[in-house]
Parts: sequence; structure tokens; C-alpha cells
Amino acid sequence: MQQLLRKDVGAFEELYERHSRIVYSLVLRILRQGSTAEEVVQDVFLQLWRNSGQFDLRRPFVPWLLTMARNRALDQLRLKSERQRRREDQTEEFPQIPVAAPEYEAALDDQRRAERVRALIRSLPSAQKKAIELAYFEGLSHSEIAASLNEPLGTVKSWIRNGLLRLKEGLQATS
Amino acid sequence: MNSHDQFRDLIEAYAIGSLDAPERAALEAHLAGGCDECAKALEEAHWLVSQLAYLAPDAEPSGMLKGRLLQTVRAETAGSANQSSVRQTTVPWWLWAGVAALLLFSVYSAWNERKLRNEIANLQQQTEAQQAERQKLEQELTAAKTQAHEAMIWSDPKSKKIMLPPKDPTMEPLEAMWHPDMGLVVRGWKVPSPGEKRVLQLWLIPKKRGGKPMPLVTFWPDASGKFSAMVENPPDAMSDTQALAITEEPIGGSSQPTSTPMWVGGVS
Repeated sequence: MQQLLRKDVGAFEELYERHSRIVYSLVLRILRQGSTAEEVVQDVFLQLWRNSGQFDLRRPFVPWLLTMARNRALDQLRLKSERQRRREDQTEEFPQIPVAAPEYEAALDDQRRAERVRALIRSLPSAQKKAIELAYFEGLSHSEIAASLNEPLGTVKSWIRNGLLRLKEGLQATS
Repeated sequence: MNSHDQFRDLIEAYAIGSLDAPERAALEAHLAGGCDECAKALEEAHWLVSQLAYLAPDAEPSGMLKGRLLQTVRAETAGSANQSSVRQTTVPWWLWAGVAALLLFSVYSAWNERKLRNEIANLQQQTEAQQAERQKLEQELTAAKTQAHEAMIWSDPKSKKIMLPPKDPTMEPLEAMWHPDMGLVVRGWKVPSPGEKRVLQLWLIPKKRGGKPMPLVTFWPDASGKFSAMVENPPDAMSDTQALAITEEPIGGSSQPTSTPMWVGGVS
């Protein structure tokens, strides 16, 4: 990241090699269309290149990158039928997403943590897992999820909060 | 559970983006108030939520994407390098001739620009008129949707009617209808206007002991004293709510009541 700040193309290429796969997988899961997903991934990495000076080096990079990519993909998903608003909303400003790694973050490397996350979410009841996926990948609100799953609003709220707390506890337990 | 704990319980849902508007607004107001504990919890919740990206099925972007990206960043790097070298070079005499030709061209361009600017101004006026028309239609559509939603709440047999008698016996009582899924509507007639720079605010009083009133919507009656206020997603269920209350508050509403309730109606 330090080299990227000095506009080192080699550093940018290395960063792309290391992270493009998970970023593309996430964006493709949200948008479900390869060509649009590639456009969003291109935007994300170009924004990173052009505005790297604004990145707060004290923040963990990968979670920040994934959050930015998710936000971009959800914007694209919501604004598919509102092209005009998309032009108005997309700014070149670097999003300041307050992300801080918890103490247990260092306990697992990325690959092992990814496997743990998948296992923990898989262990949830299927409706609870579905509610979390609708919130994360479709960007739906509690009410929209409740309507989509035909479940009471309070149940959906509990599913999402408890599911995320279970994920947190599961990741903490490995530290 | 105190009010801070209630906000703390919303942090994970806020980070994943699933909070409905009223809860989101209440939490953002709490965060804006400078709660360090919630701000820190939110930073960690953003990290936790980002880990859900690993649930996405593994996929690889095309090699063309990498090619396009590297081509763009190399071109931008070369562009800025060229700009630097141009700044360091001495300007040759023939370039001055070019500059003179450019000046002539600029005169023509200025005339042309003025003409284009007039055309753009006309187009902008047309666009603004169309946008205003569109906004008006959108407002009408939103109002119609709200009215339809309110009508459904009022007519659905699952809705519970709640009367809110006034504290001042010279005023009229208010009526509310609460539907377990569609939300809550309060309406009234002959309601006096609040004071200058003041609004009326609806509160939900939780049943649990020590639970603080939860702020809902703010509103004004119209010139005839009529109003209708809707809350699509009340922050608590009807069964957990003791009463509804309405107070007068400063414009923008308050996070906790600052005046004695003018109307109170028991829910359950």
C-alpha cells in the first residue's frame, strides 16, 4: 500500500493479483452478471489507484476494500433502472469507511478465516442463513427481508443480529 | 436495558445495512452525539460484516480486465510524466507562431462559446422545468401511496384502534390504528398548531420497566387542525408497548421528551 501511494504500477499489479479474485467473487455474487461485475471491479481498483493518497493506513486494507466493493455493487444493483441518479450519486471521493480489525483478527490467515466463516454461516438454520444473505448480498432491509421470507419482523431482526454475533463468537473462539 | 444498550443492539444490523429508516436515523443521531463505545463497536462490526464476502462462490475475473486496468494506470502514469517533462523544456520560436494561431482560433472559439452557452442555458431551463414537473409527480405519487397505505391500516381487521385522550379537556381526542405488520397511523382533527419553531412528536412508551420513550415521527396539523402521521416500522411490537404519547418539541424533534405529553393512549 505504501508503494501504491507512490504510484508504483508494479505495486498496483501485485495488489490486483492478490485481491481481485475475492473482490470479483463478491461483486459477481451481488450482480450475477459477469460483464457488469467486471465494470464495477474496474471502477473499484481505478478509484483505489487514483485516490490511494486518501487511504488511512491505520485501517485494515482488505475489509475496507471489500466494504467499498460491496457498496459499489449494491449501488449498481439498486440503480440499474435509475441511470440518471447513478450519475449524480457516483462521486470520485474516496469513501471513508470506519473499519477496525478486532484483536482476534490476527489469529487466522485469510484462507483459514474464509473457511471458518463459511462453516459458521453454514451451521445456521437455513432461513437464518437466507436472511443474512439477503441483507449482505441483496442489500435488503429488515422489513424487506421479512416480506420476502414471509416471517415476522422481530424474528428477522433477531436472526440477523444473533447470526452475526455467532459468527463473531466463532471467529473469537479460534483466537 | 437502557437507551445506550438499545442502540448497541442495532450496531451489527447497521453495519450490514439492514436497519429500516427510523432505527437507522435514531442510531445515526446517537453516533453523531459522540458515543465512543458505539463508534468503536461499529468499526469492528464493519470488519465482521466484511468477512461475509467469503460466502460468495469463488470466481475469477477475465484476463482482459487486468489488461484494461494496467493499460489505464500506465497511460495515466505516462501522462503525468509527460506533463512534468513539458514543464522543464524551453519553448522554441515556432511554438510562439503556433500560440498566435491559437489566439486567433480562441477569438473564434469565444464567439462560438457564447452562442453555445446561450443554447445550453435554454436547454438547462427546459431540463429544470422537466425536473420540477417530475418532482411534483413523484411527490403526488408518494402522497397517494401513503394515503393508500394508511387506508389499508385503517380498514384491516387485524389493526387495533387506540384512543389518545387529551390532557387538556378543551381539546379533542386523537385516534390511532396499529397493524402488527403494516405499521401505525395516528390522526386528529381540530388540533391546535404548535408554537413557533415547534412541532408535535409521537412517542412509543415501552412496557418494560425503566424503558425510555422511543421517538417516532414529528408532524404539524394543517390550517384546519387536521393531521395524519404514519410510522411504517415501529421500533417495538404492539405487545411490548404500554402507550403512545404526543408532546410538543423543537423543530427537528427530540431524542427524549422535553415537555409534558398533550395526548396519551394506552396500547396494551
